[in-house]
Amino acid sequence: MDFYYGLAQIVGVHTLLGLSAYIVLLTGQVSLAQAAFFGIGAYTAGMLTVLAGWHIVPALGAGAVVGATTACAVGFPALRVKGLMLVVATLAFGEGVRLFFFNFDYQVAKGGIKVGPLGGEGFRQIRYFPEHGWTTGEVMVFIWAFVLVAMAALWWFDRSRYGAVLRAVGEDELAAQSVGVNLTAVKVSAMTVGGAVAGLGGGIYAHYTTHIEHSNFNVLVATFALAYPIVGGLSNVFGTLAAVIFVQVFLIEGLRDLGDWRNLLFGALIILAMNLRPHGLFGRRRA
Amino acid sequence: MKRIAIALAVSLAVSGAALAQEKTIKIAGFGAKTGAVRSFGVNSEAALLAAADVINKQGGVRLADGSKAKIAVEFYDDRCTAEEGISIIRRIAGTEAIVAVGPTCSNVAEPLFGILQKKVDDKSDSGLQMPIFTDVAVKGGLAKISEWSFRNVPSEWTMYSSLFYWLKTRNPGAQTVYGGVEEDFAHSRASWYAVMKDRAEANGYKVLGNSKWLLNDSNFATQVREMKNANADIVAIAAHPFTTCGVLKEMQRQGVKPKVLIGLTSSSSMETLQGCAKQAEGIIIPTSFAPVTKEGKFAAETTAKFKGAADLHSMAAWENMFILKDVIESEKVSGNKDQLQADRRKIRDGLAKLKETKGLLGITKRTEDREADKPYLFVQATKGEWKVLHDPL
Repeated sequence: MDFYYGLAQIVGVHTLLGLSAYIVLLTGQVSLAQAAFFGIGAYTAGMLTVLAGWHIVPALGAGAVVGATTACAVGFPALRVKGLMLVVATLAFGEGVRLFFFNFDYQVAKGGIKVGPLGGEGFRQIRYFPEHGWTTGEVMVFIWAFVLVAMAALWWFDRSRYGAVLRAVGEDELAAQSVGVNLTAVKVSAMTVGGAVAGLGGGIYAHYTTHIEHSNFNVLVATFALAYPIVGGLSNVFGTLAAVIFVQVFLIEGLRDLGDWRNLLFGALIILAMNLRPHGLFGRRRA
Repeated sequence: MKRIAIALAVSLAVSGAALAQEKTIKIAGFGAKTGAVRSFGVNSEAALLAAADVINKQGGVRLADGSKAKIAVEFYDDRCTAEEGISIIRRIAGTEAIVAVGPTCSNVAEPLFGILQKKVDDKSDSGLQMPIFTDVAVKGGLAKISEWSFRNVPSEWTMYSSLFYWLKTRNPGAQTVYGGVEEDFAHSRASWYAVMKDRAEANGYKVLGNSKWLLNDSNFATQVREMKNANADIVAIAAHPFTTCGVLKEMQRQGVKPKVLIGLTSSSSMETLQGCAKQAEGIIIPTSFAPVTKEGKFAAETTAKFKGAADLHSMAAWENMFILKDVIESEKVSGNKDQLQADRRKIRDGLAKLKETKGLLGITKRTEDREADKPYLFVQATKGEWKVLHDPL
């Protein structure tokens, strides 16, 4: 049963990663910086539980806050550019953050051994869950509590006036601006919320894998973050969840026994899914 | 009626014997079978299957009740990613496997060992209680992460200490060293900064610097230009076969010819020779395997029948299988489904007790922190083959 609980943990964390990109995509922006916010949350939360001895909940909260703050700071200059330029700008930021962690050393002696991030060798022993006797099932419930809160919050956003404004900007910036919508405020706020969700997901990721390093937050992760809401569809938050289940459970885990064929099928099935459901698994055709 | 009774008795006896013979001990293997380091996983799987086949043909493994059981191997592809490695070990823990052999990549081993129980019998630690016996992931000091983790990988510290010491006596004219490091690969990076560079300086060499590249790089012109400008006597390349070959080809193009060329232990494999035998000519690498003993040759030939190549990593998997056979027998593993966790504990305790094991090059000493101190050789690429250059032991 632990295997299925573990799989549910992975789905939960990737759902948060996908949701962080979902809200940004609603404004029509394509950000490859989500992996960076994910990494910032992971290192922040990991350092707080391992080095400062914090409880996991405030540590995850701090990871989300730092992720949000960074996203907000990045959002102002980055969102002045559009389309492919924004993709390049956020990609550059993501790589910058990854390289920062690649060179980031901050170790302290604790219990006779040195702990903390050690540059390219990563940050090991983020063992809050096992050290506090949490079973795999309990960790799964804990993670999904955050996922459900995040999904509920985004669902509510989506149905509020704020959500309507996000979608209006995403549909037609000029039209939105002409009716008085402040584009910068909307885009930066979406980026900030996305950064908070990514930071939260990263914090959880660090604690369930127990070891993080720069390569966990590379452009491939950023691509996955974008792919989930695109494959799932932008109609609602469930599309992202469906895409994560499709990729992580069916493609990665379900096809594991196919060996080398799995990688070939992986791409082919995503192309097939997008052809059969061009507006996403949960997407609606436009009138 | 009598005939029916006899037939029934015979059929029961036959089916009973068949049932007894069907008892199997499951050993799970896992590693990278896809991606840039896929050959390691492919070779490990072949070696595990080959070793299990040899054991099974010899009658199998003796269980606590005196019966014999066959060994069944199931191998999983972790694609060299931490998340998949964790998922796989949880999946293996849910099967009847009594031990897992793997993984390929050190960046998978680190989180994997992290989710295991750190100290045995620590009731407050809910980490996974599953013995893992690593064959490939070679980055130094990983087994100390958990008392459920064991490794049968060579000590690079010992091997490169010995290599630089030997080079000092063999090439007294060589004074300077320049490094090349596959910067984003945990093992390569640790091997250069914590082992090769350190050991070179400890043996009186002056390290002039190092060039860096990434595992997926395909252009090495700038790095080799730096190397050329340094003009060191010895060039040490801490990289896996794929980028090692790329760098060696670029070195040939730019005419960089150091007096001595040293490679990473993981590159003493067929992949290097298949990829760049001409450019690798003369490279010296310390390794914990070469088919120089009767047992080594047999292991290499048997593994080849399972479509795998013999190298220091795959032959560690081969050795692991025979070590596990001995542990299963000495610790009286039951092989019963209802005693699975107890059997896993017996395997862990049995591995922890080992002071030395029999390897393909000789006796391997086991350390207190569950690592191996394996015998080693220096091999040199010569006309498309690895030839033993020196046996320091």
